[in-house]
Amino acid sequence: MSGSQRLPRIGVIGNPNSGKSTVFNHLTGLRQKTGNFPGVTVDIKEGNLRLPGGGEVTLVDFPGTYSLYPTSSDEKLVSAVLSDQKNEFFPDAVVYIADVNHLEKHLLLLTQLLDLQLPLVLALNMADMADELGIKVNVSRLSEKLGIPVVFVSGRTGDNMNRLVSEIEKLIPAIGNISRKAFFDMDATEKQVAEAVRLNLGENNPYRALQLAHHFEWLPFLNESDRATLATIVQTKNFVSLRAQVEETLARYDLFTPIVEDAIQQPQQFPDTPTDRIDAVLTHRIGGPFVFIAVMLVIFQAIFDWSAYPMDWIDNGFAELNTWLQQTLPDHWTTELLTDGILAGLAGILVFVPQITLLFLLITILEEVGYMARVVFLFDRIMRRFGMNGRSVVALIGGSACAVPAIMSSRTIGNWKERLITVLVTPFISCSARIPVYLVLIGMAVPRVRIGGIIGAQTLVFGAMYALGVAAALFAGWTLKRYLKTREPSFLAIELPVYRMPDWKNVGLTVWEKVSAFIIGAGKIILIVSIALWALSRFGPGDAIERAATKAQEEAAAAGLGEAETEDLTAQKKLEASWAGQMGKAFEPVIRPLGYDWKIGIGLLTSFAAREVFTGTLAILYNMGSSEADINDRSENEAKATLREKMQRETFSDTGQPVYTFATALSLLVFYALAMQCMSTLAVVRRETGSWKWALWQFISMTGLAWLAAWLVQIIFA
Amino acid sequence: MQRRYRSIPDLKIHETARALSFSDAALACKLTSMGFLPGARVEMVRQSPFGNAFYVKVDGVRMALRREEAASILLEI
Ligand SMILES: Nc1nc2c(ncn2[C@@H]2O[C@H](COP(=O)(O)OP(=O)(O)OP(=O)(O)O)[C@@H](O)[C@H]2O)c(=O)[nH]1
Ligand SMILES: [Mg+2]
Repeated sequence: MSGSQRLPRIGVIGNPNSGKSTVFNHLTGLRQKTGNFPGVTVDIKEGNLRLPGGGEVTLVDFPGTYSLYPTSSDEKLVSAVLSDQKNEFFPDAVVYIADVNHLEKHLLLLTQLLDLQLPLVLALNMADMADELGIKVNVSRLSEKLGIPVVFVSGRTGDNMNRLVSEIEKLIPAIGNISRKAFFDMDATEKQVAEAVRLNLGENNPYRALQLAHHFEWLPFLNESDRATLATIVQTKNFVSLRAQVEETLARYDLFTPIVEDAIQQPQQFPDTPTDRIDAVLTHRIGGPFVFIAVMLVIFQAIFDWSAYPMDWIDNGFAELNTWLQQTLPDHWTTELLTDGILAGLAGILVFVPQITLLFLLITILEEVGYMARVVFLFDRIMRRFGMNGRSVVALIGGSACAVPAIMSSRTIGNWKERLITVLVTPFISCSARIPVYLVLIGMAVPRVRIGGIIGAQTLVFGAMYALGVAAALFAGWTLKRYLKTREPSFLAIELPVYRMPDWKNVGLTVWEKVSAFIIGAGKIILIVSIALWALSRFGPGDAIERAATKAQEEAAAAGLGEAETEDLTAQKKLEASWAGQMGKAFEPVIRPLGYDWKIGIGLLTSFAAREVFTGTLAILYNMGSSEADINDRSENEAKATLREKMQRETFSDTGQPVYTFATALSLLVFYALAMQCMSTLAVVRRETGSWKWALWQFISMTGLAWLAAWLVQIIFA
Repeated sequence: MQRRYRSIPDLKIHETARALSFSDAALACKLTSMGFLPGARVEMVRQSPFGNAFYVKVDGVRMALRREEAASILLEI
């Protein structure tokens, strides 16, 4: 073990879809995403495990990989960690998870780990399925031949997990002093390469030394001089990496296949399983795409119709609470901070919890049952037209919930160009944060009528917003395809897992984790922006606000306005004089061509942090315009006037024209569909592409496109 | 002219053949590590909707391959 305070690190490693995350969840109870889609875990996750003897270890869940010779960046992560003993995630020991039903394919990576001299325990997972299929394993024979402990487990039912934990405990004393005979015998060239790497870089494990020679071009922890040294070694020894990889792989199979055949009894025939019958429909040449469209429509229906109710309750609940607080609490700026700043922010966060939960739930179920891999197969061809890969569809569907995890899921795409395009276009897909904005604007612009007595006009426009997002994503992909160049190979080659009933505990944990990550991540930004916004609109430079108030009162007196109208005018003028008002006014020239006034300007400025702030911002701004008047003079009903109604009453201060005409609402809709307004997404894009360059580029081009499109809409419909 | 070898795209639906070798090194590396080895029994299950990919079973394991990928897998005649 390296550090003294550091807990021993146990890596959970294995092939994609072998159940690593399920076992990891079971052992740590830590929330972590699982799914029946090869490549669900794309990042490294940690959790602690208490051992019966009183000790504690850190479990590290890795992305799945077939071998130490990776083809995509989630797989590369595994090779990079295992090649670098100084990496913070480098495991001291490994729990290797293999799907017992495909053991003849799942041991390749295990034999590579054997040669890295890591303490190992082999967990044969999916015992429950093996029982059903009549697969029998001679565990002690397998253990003896491989020279490591073997446990038969089920991540789903939790069978034998105690045994696994006690085997993990027994690994700890072995950390750092394993010396097994190499499983794979390197050939003469490989031996020379490994020896040269040892002499030059001090890597004593011959197999890890060989890994450095295979991967030196991209391994992130190597410095330039190491890289140059390795390049020279590879060249002088005439080492052809790709050929060596294939030969090593085949040699390893030759070695472990007899071991598996000896230890396992499998029924001879592969029966016609339900998976084949389901796939006859779901991947059918003609039926498949239709089923996909139907599935997407159900999801669409779910977010539009079903989540409208809880959203309304939340909206109304906050409105009631707000009114009540304003009437009960003393008339003081702290009350305003609470109602107009904090509560407005909270409402802005909570109002899209229903649909994001629903979306994550539906997407997680699709992943768990194994449908996503089929979607990859169905749409690979189309996506390639647009510079992407079948795997990009998974990211795009995920983008309808939230672009942040969706962009991370693009790590399964091996080809750099296809992956970059996927990352860049995913934010065009209408995410759940846009829904409240859409609903408010559609409610204003589109009448509640049914077209042909069947489909609601509002539903139609809502659907059109999604279509616009998809079209923009594809168009952007198609354009980018022309300008980006890469020589990397692009693969489809994907395993299509058997269909499984979702493991509801897994689903629940995943949805919970994603929703809470979202609330905390986006919530922080929204709350801060709301409070800052409240302060900016409550205070102004010097005594500007007081002067504005006095002036408004004089004007009102001159015009002979009533009390309520005077209050309104005063509040309006005060807002205009505030910091926020000044910002909006300064920004107005940029957006006036789109038909927006300075209040919308403030809304747009604040939504560059997170677009979900928009409705909250407008609520704050329009409340300020009429809150006192509301409570004192107007009827109860009026006081609860929703944001939508308040917005409809707005007029331009110079021309007196209504602000929210049909064209303006439509143009705002288009702007929100296309603009890049999410700091979290930009941060993820920066991390995934490795530089601010692409994030900045994405921000500018998306927002520019949004401006242009919104302007066109205004021209056409005004 | 008669071809001297066949590859996966030549298989008819539900036809099975034994894989002999791979003609592309990068793909060979990927497929072998996924457990697709020379000698495997490959069954053509169906084509993708747009005809550019194949749903195959390799020793009973379901897999999707692009046409180019499938074409690089040479089969026993
Ligand atoms: N029947 C059964 N299903 C299991 C078992 N363990 C996991 N699964 C299912 O197998 C699928 C894949 O599980 P994950 O835990 O996501 O697999 P993973 O190895 O983490 O996958 P990647 O992160 O994509 O590499 C899910 O649908 C699980 O519900 C098990 O013991 N029995
Ligand atoms: Mg996982």
